[in-house]
Amino acid sequence: MSGVAANAWVGELAQRHLDAAYNLGRWLLGNDQDAADAVHDAYLRAARAAHTYAGGNARAWWLAIVRNCCLTMLSTRGREKPLDDETAALPRTAANEVEERVDAAQSHARIAEHLRALPTEFREALVLREFEDLSYREIADVLGVPIGTVMSRLSRGRALLQRALESPAREISSGM
Amino acid sequence: MECNRAVTLLEPYLDKELDRAEARELEDHVDGCADCRAALTRLDTLRVALRDRSLRHAAPAALRERIAAAAGSADAPVPVSPAAAAPRRHRTAAPAWWRMAAAFVLTFAAGGAFVHLWNSGKADDESALIARDLFASHWRALAAASPVDVVSTDRHTVKPWFAGKVAQAPLVQDFADQGFPLVGGRIDYVGTQRVPVLVYRHGQHLIDVFVLPQGAGSAEMRPAARLGYSLDPLILGAQPAAVVSDMDQQELVKFAQLIAARSGDGKDAAH
Repeated sequence: MSGVAANAWVGELAQRHLDAAYNLGRWLLGNDQDAADAVHDAYLRAARAAHTYAGGNARAWWLAIVRNCCLTMLSTRGREKPLDDETAALPRTAANEVEERVDAAQSHARIAEHLRALPTEFREALVLREFEDLSYREIADVLGVPIGTVMSRLSRGRALLQRALESPAREISSGM
Repeated sequence: MECNRAVTLLEPYLDKELDRAEARELEDHVDGCADCRAALTRLDTLRVALRDRSLRHAAPAALRERIAAAAGSADAPVPVSPAAAAPRRHRTAAPAWWRMAAAFVLTFAAGGAFVHLWNSGKADDESALIARDLFASHWRALAAASPVDVVSTDRHTVKPWFAGKVAQAPLVQDFADQGFPLVGGRIDYVGTQRVPVLVYRHGQHLIDVFVLPQGAGSAEMRPAARLGYSLDPLILGAQPAAVVSDMDQQELVKFAQLIAARSGDGKDAAH
């Protein structure tokens, strides 16, 4: 395909799935600036690599590039540094065991906090599944792992989240 | 179904990754099993909590502008006139006030025509969205390994292929004798609708003919051009359609005339 068509295609693809790209970057990197930079890098890389696209799911192809840029940034940055962690400042409630009584904002903050605390491999799978509504096949394409691995990561991630969110006294009974 | 198997299927079930038979089997089990029902409820509670919109980060406007500037593309279709190609840098900021300013100027010029402009502006938005999808689809097809899902130069193969996939199979014609051979067909999306696409070739040019659903802005499509690719509306059979390609204007007119001549409704093709 011609260079013009490739650029037009990548530009359109990136803009169409910009929220998905940014959200993934934001959850992988933990702050706005790095996420925006990683997505911008990803766009440049995608424009250069448009000729390597071999058909298949274009959104997964684009998100895979975004993810690679994020991982590159993570490794050069050393570790995650949440610069603008708005929820960290919220008071820790002593009533964590009474999930039902925690008001909505606090409960969102808690979920965000626990999701951030998950190991990257579980967090990214959950973000792609729950926020972006990707299928197992698409997640497998983005992460470059088999579908079975996607399923086990989602399952582990969910179990860890449930354990963190639910009262410490209660046991996880589902066996996941 | 045993509990230990059901437990492994609860998540794929919620993720809509089970086929109908498996889903039904699991539902039957969950109906009679309090433990699995409780596990499913807990998973669903977690899902609802995770899917809260406040947890999803939307791309900031500054990033959107950066990418749009780097891509050098505009959201609105560009008029075909070459003069419009020059001020590309300002285009990302332009459309909102530009459209308003244009409307005001026209209102002063035409007097009393404001209501009409307002309504056609809405239709323009619809058709601009369709145009955007059509260009995207064409570029995607060019980028893919093959621009067609069914390869055939025989219209008797292409039409039945469509028949099983879209509500109304389009009129399929071959213009090989006139220099526009049929390459095949594919299914693509315009908005949320599946539409048939007929693919032709002319020399080095690939031509997509999108057969559009009735209504929803299809009738208001106007010629548009982006980055050297053009879009022209026409009528195929009785259905609205749009041609997207990088052919020059002369070749495009010839192609549109071929389609109109065989469509049998006698109307001017590139209206």
